[in-house]
Amino acid sequence: MNRNAITAVAFLVVFVGLGAAYLHLSRNVAAAERNAAQAPAFEVDPLWPKPLPNHWVLGSTIGVSVDENDHVWIIHRSSATLGNNEKGLELKPPTGECCAGAPPVLEFDQAGNLLNHWGGPAPGYEWPTSNHGITVDYKGNVWIGGNGEGDAQLLKFTKSGKFLLQVGKANARAVPADKEGVSKFGGNSNDTTSFGRVAKIFVDPKENEAFISDGYLNKRVVVLDADTGAFKRYWGAYGNKPDDTNLGPYNPDAPPAPQFRNPVHCAELSVDRLLYVCDRVNDRIQVFTPAGKFLKEAFIAKKSLGEGSVWDIAFSKDPQQSYIFLADGRNMKIRILKRDTLEELTNFGDGGRQPGQFYAPHSIAVDSKGNLYTTETYEGKRVQRFVYKGLRPVAAKDQGVVWPR
Amino acid sequence: MRILAAVAAAAVVFSSSAFAHDVPDDVVVQAFLHPSGTRVSLVVRVPLTAMRDVDVPSRAGGFVDLTRVEPALRHAATIWLVQGIEVLQDGRALPPGQLEGVRLSLPSDRAFEQFDAARARIDGPPLDPATQVMWEQGALDARIEYALDHPGGRLAWRADVRRLGQRVTTVLRLVTADGAIRAFEWHGDPGVVQLDPRWHQAALSFLRAGIGHVFSGPDHLLFLLCIAIPLRRVRTLILVVTSFTLAHATTLVASAYGVAPSGNWFPPLVETLIAASIVWMALENIFDSVAGRDLEAAGGRAVARRWAATTAFGLVHGFGFSFALRDQLQFAGAHLLTSLLAFNVGVEIAQVAVIVSAATAVTLAFRRLSSPRVAAIVVSAIAAHTGWDWLIERGAVWWQYPWPVPSAAALVAVAIWLGLAVVAAAGAWGVRRLFDRHAGSARSANGANRAAVSGKPAEAGSLCEATESVR
Repeated sequence: MNRNAITAVAFLVVFVGLGAAYLHLSRNVAAAERNAAQAPAFEVDPLWPKPLPNHWVLGSTIGVSVDENDHVWIIHRSSATLGNNEKGLELKPPTGECCAGAPPVLEFDQAGNLLNHWGGPAPGYEWPTSNHGITVDYKGNVWIGGNGEGDAQLLKFTKSGKFLLQVGKANARAVPADKEGVSKFGGNSNDTTSFGRVAKIFVDPKENEAFISDGYLNKRVVVLDADTGAFKRYWGAYGNKPDDTNLGPYNPDAPPAPQFRNPVHCAELSVDRLLYVCDRVNDRIQVFTPAGKFLKEAFIAKKSLGEGSVWDIAFSKDPQQSYIFLADGRNMKIRILKRDTLEELTNFGDGGRQPGQFYAPHSIAVDSKGNLYTTETYEGKRVQRFVYKGLRPVAAKDQGVVWPR
Repeated sequence: MRILAAVAAAAVVFSSSAFAHDVPDDVVVQAFLHPSGTRVSLVVRVPLTAMRDVDVPSRAGGFVDLTRVEPALRHAATIWLVQGIEVLQDGRALPPGQLEGVRLSLPSDRAFEQFDAARARIDGPPLDPATQVMWEQGALDARIEYALDHPGGRLAWRADVRRLGQRVTTVLRLVTADGAIRAFEWHGDPGVVQLDPRWHQAALSFLRAGIGHVFSGPDHLLFLLCIAIPLRRVRTLILVVTSFTLAHATTLVASAYGVAPSGNWFPPLVETLIAASIVWMALENIFDSVAGRDLEAAGGRAVARRWAATTAFGLVHGFGFSFALRDQLQFAGAHLLTSLLAFNVGVEIAQVAVIVSAATAVTLAFRRLSSPRVAAIVVSAIAAHTGWDWLIERGAVWWQYPWPVPSAAALVAVAIWLGLAVVAAAGAWGVRRLFDRHAGSARSANGANRAAVSGKPAEAGSLCEATESVR
């Protein structure tokens, strides 16, 4: 056989070998995909958002929402949570060239540009002393809660920051100081005019009702008329009448608490009209009908102490909302649950300050393409985007940091 | 007095304000176009914040008075949409459309996910008048009907919607008579957009795009210059450039059919390899010049070596072209392969033009110089330096991405690409054998001719070479 023939045969053998390998591997892949559970996959987008103008910096960032244009809205506590070494530009006199707290409400586009900013005290309404949670509703209105000492109100604005509605009065929860003169505010979870430090609002387009997670002082879910703010109904854990008795510290080995612990941190209604409530410190999600009938509960990372594991949730963007994305600020990760069973499929993230890591992920939202947005409180002070990469077989329970590949 | 007070109160409560807000930053125009018989329906949704200079009836709280809003919506739809959108049939503009219906929708409304739902929204009942909605947070839905000259025909779109916002994105879906959907998305007003192009319209459009793309990318131009520096003969030049084109056509077509890796690491890797290809070619030119090797005088094997290098790098550049072409493929209509080939032909035409111009310029310039070799070294060194800068810059970006974790699915993709590479290598080997045989025959013939002229037998070396080349 001459050299040309040998070369030609070699090409043929390699090609046939590769074909055989391809067939074998693709069968394995198909079999693996059939057997493995699937979960949405994400990669952090380290370049989103773009740097803020005017030497602005974020304070503790405690709310995120995505509107119908896929613009991302966040709320943060700005200068109130910045040290003097971070806000030298706004001190009087200024102590340096950097920096200043950004306005509390910020709107970003998909490219990460800052489009709009507003917020803060003004005549006509009582801005929270410590704003908390932001929701852009189905009419494009912006709802804001607050968990400052005297915050017992929530506010509604237009997207441009025009004031529309205040429900509740600041300092409505004021009580005589206790013997030590310390506690000046107390919960009243059966009040029908004001709240007790509202964490978050969800607005149901079907019934035009606002579901209020109330909150850091009260221990209940409240339902309002979203136009008038009139109280319609409220309930506590298991659908019980809420009770403000101090339950003491959370004990993972004790029987489940009959009431929510503070804070009641989210209340989100799914497409099949199930209301998922974040009972943060009790490490659990409770599920209700919109009328307040208890359906089921699930514990998440039940050994988590301190602030608890169930901070905020968002639903996946498929029509069935098959998955829940849960921000766990205690354990510095995002958990992905199957919505029907509340079983955790996988999680990603880790503690740290690099892209894809977390310092107390506090709030979470999803855009129409399935991308995730998280905000971080305490010293996290940022918003991050995680790009949706489709459904993939679950390869590991703990994915760690989902760096771009 | 009471009447006056009542009138004043009514004026406050039921007021009307001319809405003349700033030009919005981002505006998305959602539209469906559906031909049926002798008519074509356009249903379109725009954010009301883009509908400026409109008298908006408002009620207490600044909300839109939904009982009186329809004339304002019709006015807005007429001046911003009916007068701004033109539909063409077979290249001729249809008469202006008739506004058949308008609705104000809440921002959360999802009717525009499908044509039937969007049309039903506009033809269905309006919002409950008690609904609280701010003008700038709502959406205007409009149905506009156009009369076709005749059933069928090919539709095109021309619009003046750029004035609606700072950045206007049009998302248009053509719902054909048989229910198929063809989706388009573009920014600004690109002129006439053929929604169902004939093959020659698509081909012409992509031919232009191919020519334009070569001139828009400095890295490709620099690579072509590096190819041209040592080559003088037009035939050799065209052969080398064509091998480059065939190679990049392979990967370009493969990418268009979704065979390329989808990881974020891939585009920066390709960009890095393109920079490396410039450095490689420039260094090869420098080494050849320093060694005093004349590529063309050296004959078939030397040219074949360059040809092999340009083929290999052509595969890489093809991926680079595919990134540029990604957003354009929506305009290919039903002629994807034709469009891709036309794009490649456009690239080839532009490359031949560039390389012949460059080779002519290089030849003329070097002819005036006392040492063309030094000039070739200097020009190649500049190219190598520029390519090196790009290599470092792009490599740094690529390096930020971790290597893809090997998985069975990734190995399947690798097997496909290795298979393609084997086919390409086998093809290259076959062509090279033909090269050698052709060169050997030519030398053998020359030797025989010389022998015939001189009356002496052909030189032993020539015969051996010829024999080697046909093995």
